[in-house]
Amino acid sequence: MSQRESAPTPPKARSRYDRPRRPFSILGAIVGLILGMGVGLLYAWVITPASQETVEPWQLDADSRASYTAAIALAYSEDDDLGRAVERLIALRFPGDPIQGVADVACQLASTGAAGSTGGLTALRAMIDLYRLQGRAGCADSLITLAGDPGTGIVEIDLPTPTVTLTAPPSKTPTPATIITTPTRIAVIPTLAPQNDFDLVGVTTACSVEASGVIIVEVYELNGSTGVPAVEVRARWNDGESRFFTGLHPNRGSSYADFQMEPGIDYLIDLPGRADPIGQPLSAVPCTTPGGDRAVITYRVLFRRSE
Amino acid sequence: MRFLVSLAIALAIGIGVGLYLGLVQFPVEYTDAAMPRLSARHQDDYTVMIAYGFQADGDPGAALERLRPLEFDNVPQHIQETAERYISSSRGVGDVRALVTLAEGVGRLTPIMEPYRQVEAGG
Repeated sequence: MSQRESAPTPPKARSRYDRPRRPFSILGAIVGLILGMGVGLLYAWVITPASQETVEPWQLDADSRASYTAAIALAYSEDDDLGRAVERLIALRFPGDPIQGVADVACQLASTGAAGSTGGLTALRAMIDLYRLQGRAGCADSLITLAGDPGTGIVEIDLPTPTVTLTAPPSKTPTPATIITTPTRIAVIPTLAPQNDFDLVGVTTACSVEASGVIIVEVYELNGSTGVPAVEVRARWNDGESRFFTGLHPNRGSSYADFQMEPGIDYLIDLPGRADPIGQPLSAVPCTTPGGDRAVITYRVLFRRSE
Repeated sequence: MRFLVSLAIALAIGIGVGLYLGLVQFPVEYTDAAMPRLSARHQDDYTVMIAYGFQADGDPGAALERLRPLEFDNVPQHIQETAERYISSSRGVGDVRALVTLAEGVGRLTPIMEPYRQVEAGG
């Protein structure tokens, strides 16, 4: 009983009027901090943001990033240092796989006419080599296949869907005849040399709204700079053909002729009787211009007088 | 009064924290910048890459065209200065040789570059 009487009574909760006052207001501190941080961030991010004198590669605009990517591929083509190339690509912060980023940039460049110059072609080739070696693929693979020496600037164009079946032109090369002079001896008459006046130098692509879907044909003398007028050019497609001549656009020079493609049709270009047809048909595929506009690809087919 | 004093003190602290976060920790980052604003280190690296490209294709016109976006008044001068700076700061021999080859290709070979010239063996 006595133990029960001596048990301590629980302390009585103090009323707010009995508690000592804090030296500061919690509410005031919280509101002040939030307001202060808001003002500080507003000043730093909006009113006078810190000026950045220099930038990193990932902060470059799209064109500069493409140039930087091409430079990385060019360097890799010479030094074979994959680690260094990847390190540089990481600095560009491609979304996802950096090597696939190279493929995407190559695709964009190939469809916007970067292959129009020898330098651009070399860079594209380096980019294709870089991503192909790492097992990646891109639309540049199907748009452009570089033939032989990269320095020649000759491009073969592989079309994504070559659907036409064109009849091969009659060959001007006689079929080798075999003459049996004796029962035991065979004399072979050698094939005559081709009688072409002109050789195909190459086919390059470009993308522009002004020349959307145009095949430009240029025919030059052996020196490569003097245009040859009045050369008949033939464009053939699956159910028709069109013939036109160089030099009919006086303001474009005597070497120039052009032909407007219809979307979805493939064309073979030749100089009838004077140059063999190009190896692959040209297809009117869509492309994106450097300015971001949609257009149909432009082909430039170059012929030069045979030596 | 107690509320206002707390508010004022916290406001000052908050502004300080906000400025620190906004200017130092998480500053505004710009994008869509042009090539000339690239940092000096990356401009040098870009020049080295173009120099390797020149070693591959031997086309000085293409190399100058690729360096044009950096918007230097005198691109050959920039190549020469970069090559000399790489030599004097003992950078990688491969990079130096590439730069010297490019400098020679654009007619900017100087005596300090001579030891790094890559002379092709005669046949």
